[in-house]
Amino acid sequence: MSYKIPMGPYHPALEEPYKLDLICDGETVQDAKLHIGFNFRGIEHLAETRNHIQVIALMERVCGICSNIHTLTLCNAMEKLTNLTPPPRAQYIRVIMAELERLHSHVLWAGIAAKLMGFKTMFMTCFELREKVMDVLQAISGNRVNYSMNRIGGVNRDITDPQAILKMVEALELEMARTVIPIFTTSRTAISRCAGIGVLTTEKATSCGVVGPVARASGVPQDIRRAAPYAAYAELDFDVPVQPAGDVTARLLVRALEIMESCKILRQALAKLPPGEIHTEGEKFAFITGTATARVEAPRGEVMYSVSWKEGSRNPARVHVRTPTFAIMPAIRWMVVGQRLADTPLIQASIDPCYSCTDR
Amino acid sequence: MTSTISLQEVAEQLGITEPWVETGGVHWLAPGAKSVRELTAAMNALHARFITITAYELPKDEGFRLEYHWDLDGQLLGFPFVLTTKSIESIFDMCEAVDWIEREIHEEYSIDFTGREYEPLLLRQGDTTGVNLRDMVAASKENK
Repeated sequence: MSYKIPMGPYHPALEEPYKLDLICDGETVQDAKLHIGFNFRGIEHLAETRNHIQVIALMERVCGICSNIHTLTLCNAMEKLTNLTPPPRAQYIRVIMAELERLHSHVLWAGIAAKLMGFKTMFMTCFELREKVMDVLQAISGNRVNYSMNRIGGVNRDITDPQAILKMVEALELEMARTVIPIFTTSRTAISRCAGIGVLTTEKATSCGVVGPVARASGVPQDIRRAAPYAAYAELDFDVPVQPAGDVTARLLVRALEIMESCKILRQALAKLPPGEIHTEGEKFAFITGTATARVEAPRGEVMYSVSWKEGSRNPARVHVRTPTFAIMPAIRWMVVGQRLADTPLIQASIDPCYSCTDR
Repeated sequence: MTSTISLQEVAEQLGITEPWVETGGVHWLAPGAKSVRELTAAMNALHARFITITAYELPKDEGFRLEYHWDLDGQLLGFPFVLTTKSIESIFDMCEAVDWIEREIHEEYSIDFTGREYEPLLLRQGDTTGVNLRDMVAASKENK
């Protein structure tokens, strides 16, 4: 006899509210239905009531983890509508902020995954490391969550002492290479809880259109930083880690390897940081009529903004946001089918879902 | 899977003579008489990755414009469809990735994607679709 178990919208295993109705036969999940919308704030509609400065502050609040990515994508789109090109130094600072945010997001996720595995010591280790990443972000921007770094035509704050930031990044890299990555990739606790569970095949990942680390952990080598480079990524050398297995271990490995790649990118960007202005100084600009679209590789995958403006208008006519979790979440259904009920919290967490982003 | 096909060849395969127009970071192609399902079949054959649909409400009761986006080897493709009625064929049976965005647009703009069934609403409870927050904000301001 099958029975339905509701998980959420408020559940200890969920970071944010959403609901998973699990149809089970004994301990085995037969099917699942997802319900979202508990964080719906109507941000896309609110954006139509904000001017070009206010809308950046608004969109920074779409997500508390990848707030910088949202303003970066929005500014990239608005720059296409104003024909402004940020100076090279600003492009490098944007890369540095984006990679620090990826580090912070991946380490946060590793901590939560450790907690769900029943690996509390690792949870504390990850959160201690995350604090150090946030210290770097605070040292650059003065803020720990909403950094207010991006503006049309550049960034708001400079990195005055790249060497100091570089030292912090090197210390982080060392600790990640010494503790986090070996433990996650070799510990029996991690392997026994993650290997072979929540599999998303390459075919299913492709047909569902999943993005980011989840796609790469299913053997889909897709990364916007490589496929359609923005900011200064075209000038930097990095690898795109791909794992074919599609299980929770593969997602863990991809993110662990991405942490190391982010550190590699950060070292290069800090070393190459060109001199000059950080934004287009004193240049007057006006919006042209039309729609512009920008895509950025956020920690969870591709974010896309479509911004529509009418010349002479104070506010955008339309802002549409396609977030990575919106593309990935429907695939949870295929990951949990046939799995044990007890594994579903870890499987849903393994996509690193962000419901604030999804609901907007 | 990657494709080495040029955009011109894509247009030729679709039987569209209009040129591609690159603007605002998107390669646009007017689909002409091609239906959204014909377009989807062509995108599937090219192994293009579906990204999203962006819906625009046109002024003065002119209807809606739906912009379908695919990624082909890092190039962002856009195909605009103007709807004079609130209805267009669903591509859900051909492209699984479109499920949630069709449901969201159905809910927000009351546009019917024909040929598919809708599960309970994605973002809000209840049967109401086409909730126009712009009108609601204006009405609440008037009430104040």
